[in-house]
Parts: sequence; C-alpha cells; structure tokens
Amino acid sequence: MRVSFNWLKEFVETDRSPTELAERLTMAGMEVESVEAIESDGAPDWALDVAVPPNRGDCLSVIGLAREIAAITGAKTRRELPKGGRKTARARSSVQVEIVEPALCPRYSALIVRDLSVEPPPAWMRRRLETSGIRSINNIVDVTNLVMLETGQPLHAFDWDTLTAKRIVVRTARARQPFTTLDGVTRELEGEDLLICDGERPIALAGVMGGSETEVSERTRHVLLESAHFDPLSVRRTAKRLGLHSEASYRFERFVDPEGTVRALERAAALLSEVAGGKAEPGVADCRPGRRPPQVITLRDSRLESLAGAKIEREKTERLLRALGLKIVGRSKGALKLIAPSYRNDLTREADLIEEVIRLAGYGEIPAELPLARHQAKRDRRLEWERQVRSLLLGKGLTQAVNLVFTSATMNRKFPGLWRGTPAPVAVLNPLSQEHAELRLSLLAPLAANLRAHVDQRAAGVSLFEIGKSFSRRCDEKPEERLCLSGLCYGEKLIRGLRRAEPPWSFLDVKGVVEEILELLRLEQEITWSEDQIDSFLHPGKAASLVRGGRKLGLVGEIHPEMAEDLQLPRFFVFELDFEAMLEYARRDFTVHSLPRFPAVERDVALVVKDTFRADQIVQWVRANRQPLIEDVRVFDEYRGAQVGEGMKSLAYKISYRADNRTLTDAEVNEVHQRLVQSLIENFAVRVRQ
Amino acid sequence: MKESLEGLGEEVRGRIRSARSEAELQQIRVEYLGRKGRLTLLLRGLRDVPPGDRPQLGERLNRLRQDIEEQIELELKRQKEREKERILREERIDITLPGSRLERGHPHPIALVMDEIIDIFWGMGFEVARGPDVEDDYHNFEALNFPKDHPARDMQDTLFVSDGLLLRTHTSPVQIRVMETRQPPLQVIAPGAVYRHDDDVTHSPMFHQVEGFMVDRHISFAHLKGVLTHFLRQIFSADTGVRFRPSFFPFTEPSAEVDIQCVLCGGRGATGDDKPCRVCKASGWLEILGAGMIDPEVFRYVGYDPEAVSGFAFGMGVERIAMLKFGIQDIRLFFQNDMRFLRQFR
Repeated sequence: MRVSFNWLKEFVETDRSPTELAERLTMAGMEVESVEAIESDGAPDWALDVAVPPNRGDCLSVIGLAREIAAITGAKTRRELPKGGRKTARARSSVQVEIVEPALCPRYSALIVRDLSVEPPPAWMRRRLETSGIRSINNIVDVTNLVMLETGQPLHAFDWDTLTAKRIVVRTARARQPFTTLDGVTRELEGEDLLICDGERPIALAGVMGGSETEVSERTRHVLLESAHFDPLSVRRTAKRLGLHSEASYRFERFVDPEGTVRALERAAALLSEVAGGKAEPGVADCRPGRRPPQVITLRDSRLESLAGAKIEREKTERLLRALGLKIVGRSKGALKLIAPSYRNDLTREADLIEEVIRLAGYGEIPAELPLARHQAKRDRRLEWERQVRSLLLGKGLTQAVNLVFTSATMNRKFPGLWRGTPAPVAVLNPLSQEHAELRLSLLAPLAANLRAHVDQRAAGVSLFEIGKSFSRRCDEKPEERLCLSGLCYGEKLIRGLRRAEPPWSFLDVKGVVEEILELLRLEQEITWSEDQIDSFLHPGKAASLVRGGRKLGLVGEIHPEMAEDLQLPRFFVFELDFEAMLEYARRDFTVHSLPRFPAVERDVALVVKDTFRADQIVQWVRANRQPLIEDVRVFDEYRGAQVGEGMKSLAYKISYRADNRTLTDAEVNEVHQRLVQSLIENFAVRVRQ
Repeated sequence: MKESLEGLGEEVRGRIRSARSEAELQQIRVEYLGRKGRLTLLLRGLRDVPPGDRPQLGERLNRLRQDIEEQIELELKRQKEREKERILREERIDITLPGSRLERGHPHPIALVMDEIIDIFWGMGFEVARGPDVEDDYHNFEALNFPKDHPARDMQDTLFVSDGLLLRTHTSPVQIRVMETRQPPLQVIAPGAVYRHDDDVTHSPMFHQVEGFMVDRHISFAHLKGVLTHFLRQIFSADTGVRFRPSFFPFTEPSAEVDIQCVLCGGRGATGDDKPCRVCKASGWLEILGAGMIDPEVFRYVGYDPEAVSGFAFGMGVERIAMLKFGIQDIRLFFQNDMRFLRQFR
C-alpha cells in the first residue's frame, strides 16, 4: 500500500524521519519497500510503499498503519475519528435493508445523503488519492475512496434516484445470471456470488464492484452510501473467478473491521457536506444479523518463554499487547486472558499472541542458541552416489547441465525416454509458452537443445551430462517421476595443451564412460548390452540397450542421421540411464580377493571372422565353458582390411592362464591354449589369423 | 735420465689433460703403463742401472706411475660427469609449454552451492529428504495452512498439471510428507526444484530451494536464530552481519525474514565511489531466508501434539545464494547451460 507520510502524521505523533520510520516498520514486519520524496500542497511529503502481509487487513488504511506505528514505536495516536453514532443510528432511514445471507454479509450499514452537487474534487483530495494510486473521478466517488484509504472501510455510492424499490436486499445470484458492472462489462454470475439488490434488481457485486445502472453521474443529486462487512472468502472467490480485482475486494478479502461501518459512513457524510454540499439523513440503516462474541485468548508465561527461548517479563508482555489494542480480561499466576480488538481477526490463538509479543519486543532481543540435537542423521546413499558419479563424469570431460524440466510437445515426441509402453507426457495446464508446454519424458530433449545453442556458436565439441527428473503420466494417476542420468557427446574432445591427434567422440568412447559408471556402481556384471529395444531416434547399427533381468535400464548410441537432420544438428552420441533403478541395485559393500601366489601366463589369438560376428560371443562362451587354468579372456583389437579380406574382420583376444598351486610351464599353457583355440574354431567356424 | 723423467711426466700430464674421450685415456694408459708401455719399459730397465741409483730412481718411477694412474682416473671421472651433464643438457625441455590434458568437465553452480548448503546442515545433524516435484494441493498448500481461497495463495503463482495436481511452488511439502510418516526428534533438509509461473531476469519458472526443519521438545525461536546464523556465517563469511525481522508465512508463527549484510557493499548501502549499491538497492541488507516456528495448525495436520513438541522451519533459494556468491545478475544463465558460463566453475 502506498501512503503519504504527512497523512500518517495527522494520526500519529512521531518525530522520526520518513526513512527512520520505514526502517522501524520494516523491522517490525511491515516491510517498507520504498520511500519516495513527493510534494503535497506545497509542503514536502514522502510516499511510503508498505508491503502489508496478507493476514493484516487492518493495516490497509492510514488509520490502521498509524495505529500500528503507535504500537511499534510507543508514540501516541493524534486523534480518533468521531465515534460510531449511537444517536443517529436510532433515527429512521428512508432505506430498508434485508440480508438473506447473513453468513456472507454479517453487517450492512447504509446512509442517504441528499442535495449534492457533483463536481471536481478539491485539489488536496485529488492529490491524496493520486499519491495512493487511485484515479480521481468526481467529488462524490472521491470521498468514498478517500474514506476507504483513511479508515480501511470500502464504501459504495449508489445514485438514489436510480433505485426504484428503495429496499436493499443482500442475496446470492442465480446461476448464469448476467450483470453489468460499472466498468461497462457484462459478466455471467454463479450461485455463489453475493449480490446487492434494489428489491429484485441487482445493483452491485458485493464487495467487488458496483453496477453501471446505479452509478453516480453528473446528474446525481442524492446518494445511498453503502458500508458493509462481507465474508472475505466469498469476495475472494467471486473476484478471482471473474478476474475482477478492485481496491474494495482487495480489502474485503483481507478482512475489514465489522465495527467500523457506521463510523466510516459518518466520516463520509461529513466530507460530502464539506466538498459537495450534501446533507445526510439523520438515520443510518444498520442491519447486523451476525455478530460474533469476542473470543478470550489465554497466553501462558511458560509457553511464551519456551517458544521464544528467552524470558520476557510479564509486565513487558502486558505493555506490548495493550499497545496493540488487546484488552486484558484476566490475570492468573501463570497466564493472561485477553480479547483482541475487532479489527485484528488474525489474533485468535495463543501462538498469534506469542508472535506479537516477540515481534514488538524485537527479534534482535532473542539470543541465538544452538540446540542440543537428539536426532541421529542417517547417511544419504543417493546423495553419496550422485556426488561420486558426478565427479567421475567431470573427470571424463563432461560438464554438468541443469535444464528446466519443461519442453515442447514436439521434442517429447522425438525423445520418449525410458518409459515402458506408450509414453504419456504430462502437460502443463497454464504453460509459460509452447516451448514449455509439457514436462520432459527424457533429459535428452533439453540436452539436444543445449547442443543446438553450442553449434550455433560454432563449438567444435560439446560434452554434457545432467542428473534430473523425467516425468510421465500413468493412466490418469499422479505422474510418475524418475531420476535419470543422461549425457550428450559431440565432436572433438576438449584438449588443452599442445595439439595432439585425439580422435573425436565415438560410440566406444561413450560406451566406455557408461561402463565406468556401471563399474563404480558395481553393476557391470549384472547389466548386459543388448541390440534389442533400440529407440527409433537412434542409429539402428550404432546403439545399445542396457538390460538387467529383462528390464531396460538405459541406452547408449549415436543419434539417427534422420533425427539429426530433423533437428538440424550434426550427428552426436547420447546416453540415458534410469539412475533411480540403478541406485537401487548398486552395491557398496564388497570383499577383496587375496593376492594370487603364482604368476599368470598370457597368450594371444587372432581370429578371422565374418564382419557381422559379435566379439563378445567368444568372451561369453569362454567364460561360460570355463576350462581349468583359464583365468580370463578379453578382446583387445579389431582389424579390417586387405589382410583379412572383404566382408571379414580379425578379432584379437588375450587369454590369461593361472594355477593357484604352482607356476605353469610353457608346455602346460601351450597345450591348454591349443585346445581352447581348437574348440573356438570348431564352435564358431572361424579361422586363426597367422 | 732425471731430466727425461721429468719431461716424460709433463708429456703424459699434457696428453691426459687434452684427452677428449675415455678411449683416448685408455690409449694413454696402455701407451705408458701397459705391458709395453714407456714407463713399464723404464721400470724394467732398472736392472741396467747401477745398484746404488736403483732405489732412488725406482721410487721416482713408481711415484710417476702412481701419479699417472691417478691423473687418468681423475680425468675419467671428470669426463663421466661431463657426459652425464651433456645428456641432461640435451634432454632439457621447455617447461613453459602448457600441460597436455583432456579438459575436465565443469560442475554446475547450483550443484556446487547445493552441496555446500547440504554439508553445512549435515554438520549440524540434519539429514536429507526428498519429495515429488508434481504435488497435490493438500501437501503444497492445505496442510501448510494455506486455506483454499486465501489471499496467502497469491504469494505463489502456481503451474498446474491437472485439477488438484501442481508443480510444487516450494520444497515445504516435504516437511509435511516427512512428518506424516515419522515422529520427532527430526532434523531434516529437503533440497529440490520448485516451480512458479514467472519468467524474467530475477525469476525463472523453475528454480531450487533447500527447505529445512527441526522438531523436538522445547525447540525455540532462539534455536532457529542459532542454527540459521551459524549456517549463514558458514556459507558467506564468519563476520557476516545477520538480522531477523518479522514476516508472514501461513505455516510458521512467528515468521521471520532473515537478511545478511550486503555481500557487495558490506552493509554500507553504497559502493566505493559513494554510488548507491545495486545489489542491496542501497539498503545494506539482502533477504536470504524465510523462516519461523512451525504453526500449531501444521502440527495438527500431521497428527503431532503442538503442546508436546515445537519446531522451526526455513527455506532458501539456491540460485539467489549462488547469484550473490558468484556475482551473477541474470538467473536465466543457470538454465542455458552455455559452456562459456559453466567453464568458470570448477
């Protein structure tokens, strides 16, 4: 709320400068966001922009803020408004008021002011409104707004002559009932909207906006002033659904003092007589079907001390709470009984009062103490693994990306992720843009977008990884979220130092990175590399699935050339792992083997095979049919060329032999090796390359 | 004879000195001391010398022989040294050339700051908890005491995925999820991504928060101040000024906004040239944390007795801390993943 400093000073005595006052307010929970020097009526003034918390509707007025300043600083309030008119309320009014929905409108007060002349407002009034960001209309409407700014009570003026029934009825609307508000827009109402009616005819959306037919105009001579208390939630629902937010609805949503309706009418009547020559009727129509009895709140000294963590003297507590307008209605040895003022609907519980005491005492008064912890914190395995994998990948030259989880429908179709069955993207109902319309099914969608940006910058090589969530909808239930670890490698590796021949990223490089992750998680034995279940966005001949027990846990591969073309990107490599599942299977505990007592002997063999032959077949076969003395087998070279002929390749394997009770002799090893080579020749129909 | 002996000595020494290689020195040794060497022959010739002169001449010859041996050995050693030095000299390289390496990848600044935050709280006994990014209205709002149709909901502009399901607007729902399933004492932090319908230089539709809370018997506002002051002085610097001021959050009461002294101007509100500080907008302070004592209503939602336990909760924006620590001015840089930006982090 923007408020004039000079106006505030009409209600509270303070010799603080505007910035000092702003600082003090900020430190007491009424944050002043800016102090701007302005000028009012030739005198220097300042506009304070106060961020009033949503639970403090009572501070959305000059008087409310002045009251708060007095409580915070201990200053005196300068003057009170004329008290609610006991005298006048007894006299009869020309208008009758009937409230059909007392829960939504606990109080409706109305006053008729006659013989007005509609004119431009005096300069001072116009300036006050404009300082607070309200446009001046005419003297009548301006008075209602000025009183709202001053007291916090929204008022509405109806042109009395446009009312035919002269009977105000407060009821809810019929479904789909049309109504034209004074901004000229006709809106369709719902059964929950509260209406002010002239007999049968709706004339205002309660607490939100008046109707155009009964609006004050140049021809207006008499007005009916409305000053009511509406249910905050009802006003909010209507204003929100219709997207119709006004100064009035803003205040009603945040609670307006039900005791202040008549006082505000009288203040308005006085101002109208001053600036528009009007005469108020002696009688105020004040219909009040719902009056809540004041609530007694108990505040225990012990509770205050234990929650604050510091002792606050009873005397001080009483002084602070009284300054806020609370009435002490009972004192006992360990507790106080209090009643909150009618404008503080946020004070209903002991905790609310404890907050007020600590707030006014000042948070700085409470010492800072470290608690003695009884809690025993558990290690977080996932975090530990994440950190280890992250540092592994950084060491491999991959840079960590963090992308927004939003992507477009198009990108989600291209990169369907690791979901089983048909992927069902989660759409955002109110997205920021079409580029952000859905949650990503795969981390590869944003990573490809990252590559796009770097290719545009002519980067020679890019290697990124991301650890993050992907999302998919599961038959209308809550979407499923899965932690993925994905990466993208393109072009040259980033080499520092003298130029050396370093080949660009290849499938085997990326597979190597993934193998290292599997090794770290001790999953290399459990996961098989398969050529099945290859996604269509991958090159069918340069991609693999990672499978564990029939379940696909990841993929590695080169992007399909057509997909690369489609994305207008050069070819690149990707991997995506179901990190969540992998961490479930990851093993941290293991035992080491004791060291072998006798040396191993190694023999190589090169086999000439068809080009389509899979190197791993032999490794698997040797392991499965393990002969005594064979310790391990691995493939270490692949060769294609003239020496082996068209359509063929040569694969070189290294086999290590070892006995655990003696050093093997050459003759012994040769014999076993020969037997092995012979069985390979027979089983796989291959020949040995000489 | 005497003269010729001296002449011989001079001659040998001269040749040793000018010898260029080990082979040459061996050659000299053979030439003078070998079986047919000149000195050997002279020694053999002692037989022909009158017996009276023999001892004296023999001694001189032997001394000369010994002298030559030593000279050769010495020169051999010198030459070996010189040879070693020569090899080392030849092997010398230009150490000012850059080291060869594959460039290491770069960690993301959000991960770096997140790690720091987690580790500081870990040190105070907090453990990590997580929750779903797609939340229901109950955990994101209702159980945190944001009633339906309450203006407090305006504080957070929400992205929805269906009626009743939304992208969490803060990490606070993890608080509810943990308390629903566990009993005090609890000390938990919940790091994660959060979402708002917002996009500009200082707001991103996705950003990261770390939520934390502690619940036990007799947890007080003083403890909240103690824990957060310690945290802020660890993550910024030991002499960082910290202040707590009242604020409003539906799920805490009392609520506090925690400020630190500006990291740029040190709390002066102005920079060296007396211009208003742009980081703190001349106020000298920066909002860094929201916190408060957990509202009794929240305890009721999770079935705790607010008379038996109390607790505090806090939340902070990771990007905000990263921006202050690294002097980053545009939040969108975090999510563009531009190598020129990321390369600066190690």
